[in-house]
Amino acid sequence: MSPHFLSLHHPNSPAMQEADLHDLSDDSDYAASQQQGSLSLIRSDSKRSSASEPDGAEIVYLKDNVTIHPTQYASERISGRLKLIKQGSSFFMTWIPYKGQSSNARLSERDRNLYTIRAAPFTEIRSIRRHTPTLGWQYVIVVLSSGLAFPPLYFYNGGVREFLATIKQHVFIVRSAEDANVFLVNDFQDPLQRTLSSLELPRAVVANGLSSSVSVDECPSIDNSERTDGGAFDGSASHIQNNGRRRQKVQDPARDLSIQVLEKFSRVTRFARETTSQIFRESHSDSFGTNERRTHNLTPHDYPSNVASNDVEKVTEQIPVTKDPLEYDKLSLVWGKPRQPPLGSEEWLTFIDSEGRIIDSKALRKRIFYGGVDPGLRKEVWPFLLGYHAYDSTSAEREYLMSVKKSEYEAIKNQWQSISTEQAKRFTKFRERKGLIDKDVVRTDRSLSFYDGDDNPNVNLLRDILLTYSFYNFDLGYCQGMSDLLSPILSIMRDESESFWCFVALMERLGPNFNRDQNGMHTQLFALSKFYRRRKKITFWITEHSQWSGSHSGPLEFEFETTMRLWEVLWTHYLSEHLHLYVCVAILKLHRNKIMGERMDFDNLLKFINELSGNIDLNSILRDAEALCICAGENGAACIPPGTPPSLPIEESLLYPQDDDVL
Amino acid sequence: MASRRRMLLKVIILGDSGVGKTSLMNQYVNRKFSNQYKATIGADFLTKEVQFEDRLFTLQIWDTAGQERFQSLGVAFYRGADCCVLVYDVNVMKSFDNLNNWREEFLIQASPSDPENFPFVVLGNKIDVDSGNSRVVSEKKARAWCASKGNIPYFETSAKEGFNVDAAFQCIAKNALKNEPEEEL
Repeated sequence: MSPHFLSLHHPNSPAMQEADLHDLSDDSDYAASQQQGSLSLIRSDSKRSSASEPDGAEIVYLKDNVTIHPTQYASERISGRLKLIKQGSSFFMTWIPYKGQSSNARLSERDRNLYTIRAAPFTEIRSIRRHTPTLGWQYVIVVLSSGLAFPPLYFYNGGVREFLATIKQHVFIVRSAEDANVFLVNDFQDPLQRTLSSLELPRAVVANGLSSSVSVDECPSIDNSERTDGGAFDGSASHIQNNGRRRQKVQDPARDLSIQVLEKFSRVTRFARETTSQIFRESHSDSFGTNERRTHNLTPHDYPSNVASNDVEKVTEQIPVTKDPLEYDKLSLVWGKPRQPPLGSEEWLTFIDSEGRIIDSKALRKRIFYGGVDPGLRKEVWPFLLGYHAYDSTSAEREYLMSVKKSEYEAIKNQWQSISTEQAKRFTKFRERKGLIDKDVVRTDRSLSFYDGDDNPNVNLLRDILLTYSFYNFDLGYCQGMSDLLSPILSIMRDESESFWCFVALMERLGPNFNRDQNGMHTQLFALSKFYRRRKKITFWITEHSQWSGSHSGPLEFEFETTMRLWEVLWTHYLSEHLHLYVCVAILKLHRNKIMGERMDFDNLLKFINELSGNIDLNSILRDAEALCICAGENGAACIPPGTPPSLPIEESLLYPQDDDVL
Repeated sequence: MASRRRMLLKVIILGDSGVGKTSLMNQYVNRKFSNQYKATIGADFLTKEVQFEDRLFTLQIWDTAGQERFQSLGVAFYRGADCCVLVYDVNVMKSFDNLNNWREEFLIQASPSDPENFPFVVLGNKIDVDSGNSRVVSEKKARAWCASKGNIPYFETSAKEGFNVDAAFQCIAKNALKNEPEEEL
């Protein structure tokens, strides 16, 4: 830690105190944070010798009791230590949860690992929003350039202010023109500025500016277009900055909208992260000349600086472009292949050898990816797609497995069937679980012929399978929505035990979505539920409408068919196991102009998406999703955090941590 | 005459899974009842124009997921609410016991500026079931709880039969309006 830095940043330095008095009159936590701050500085000094940081790394900010809330419950939290670390020319943040002092037994070690921010370089951070509510804790949301966001970091001991001030000393941040609480990191729309930034000149500017106390205080009080700090590069830097900011104000309404949306979503949903970041990337690249983009999906950072610099003037004059870049993509890039007819019985036989093995599972999955499966054949094919049957198993082996699994199923089923009324009276969790399942199966797709009418035995089968599953996977239990995943499977398999095991296989993939204590709950479930809701809505929407209009025929079966087609295509895991995310992006892309054009706020966006459900042309969406997936390539895959469902869980040992409150 | 801007009132419906949140909303907005509503995942909303004291308002009614593990999806929608409706099923004790949790969770998440006086309305739903014979939460008990929380207005409803639903939502709109600061015209 340099003495220079220490003296300037020490909270007790008179200049800073004075400057702060004015600004922080409403900051109740600031006094605490000041004390904490000075402690931190001392501690970080001693910490440096502890060899827990890489060589040459310097901790310039350290704050204890920075906490995330994986769920909405204040009692469920993971506290940790937030640090800003400078190592050579790189500057990054880390957040390491404390070991072994969990606030709550529900939060497993694995949760802590999942949320740990090991090293997030500021070159990959796009914006930081501070929230300093009058009631409740201060927190920040850090949004990455990729569009992902970390969960809100709550500063129990205050210190958001100091955090931002420290960042400001090391990287170039500007306050968003649209929202005073948003600080844009690396917001160099101006290519020249970006080039300067890569030379670390902005940092030099800030460092020079430190000779006055102004820059320390600048973030909350001074309009960024008028930086007043002195220094060798001041003139050029502020000129450029003005330039950049003017453009931003004039031509980027959609962009700020996307920031807002991004952050709102950062609390709930990867679905939105993926999609809004996609939208954002497009609107972002829209602010550059369109000619380069025709051939590549270049991010702004990929532009050669010389080309970009020449474009500065042109860019400034450009009118906001809201055309869908896919239009350009279509000229030179991948198009999703035309969809094929479903895989039929005869063709199916060509994939099977004499003993019943699938000869080339990849070819089969590819075939199904492009056409789906003939409804009559699903009963045979789905168990493979879901992973219940191995592709290289023989017919005889599968026959045997079926009989073994049947008795296994009966044994599990018997566990709850043997619970007597007296026992159930003293078994609240069982009663509640059963009640919830009863409630849900009644709500399930009753206008489908398979589940039609009162006292339909198939509805009882649904209940039995779900209740058995909740015993098979007691930790996970029953989660609303499962009935809608099971009902199509049962309608295809038409066998209790086989349906159960197919459902088990499906839940192996989706399970983490349903578990509140997994990373999945806070950041991933929404992706699934939204997505799944769409599938569900496809049937629900029609159900409602056909019911109210008294018509049970017509579009319903077709929509149900569409749902199942989508499922089997996704299950192939051909191209990507996360194709569903690309499907979401494809749908949003399709409606991009509407969403961006009408500048939908969060409410309307939600409403719009909810209402899209019944009106999706599956084949064309799948083609778009395929094209997106291929275009995104490895970069796209790299944006999807490891362990995102339907990937199988990273750790196999404890799939579902104990959770006493889960029904 | 100066045209008045139509005001948006945001209402959040909370309560345990299966107490009838979606049904109440649909009964009020669409005058429809179905016993086959799917479990709500995440959140959705419906809007309805209401007239109150010669002025038109848009009531934006947010329906949320009841199952506990979906709550983290719903809380993002709590902010900016003008009134919070707590629903329980008069035939299920636990759904009544949980009202307190719902209320506190709402106050934490929505962080209203004046939590003491934030308007809530409690609805005891499904009074039609089994002609009231399976009822386990008495009206007296419910009213006592409401009184203890700062005299929360209480209504007994049947979304299925449409009983008392309009009256309840009239009260909800009125209370939401009270929460809204005086509007500049």
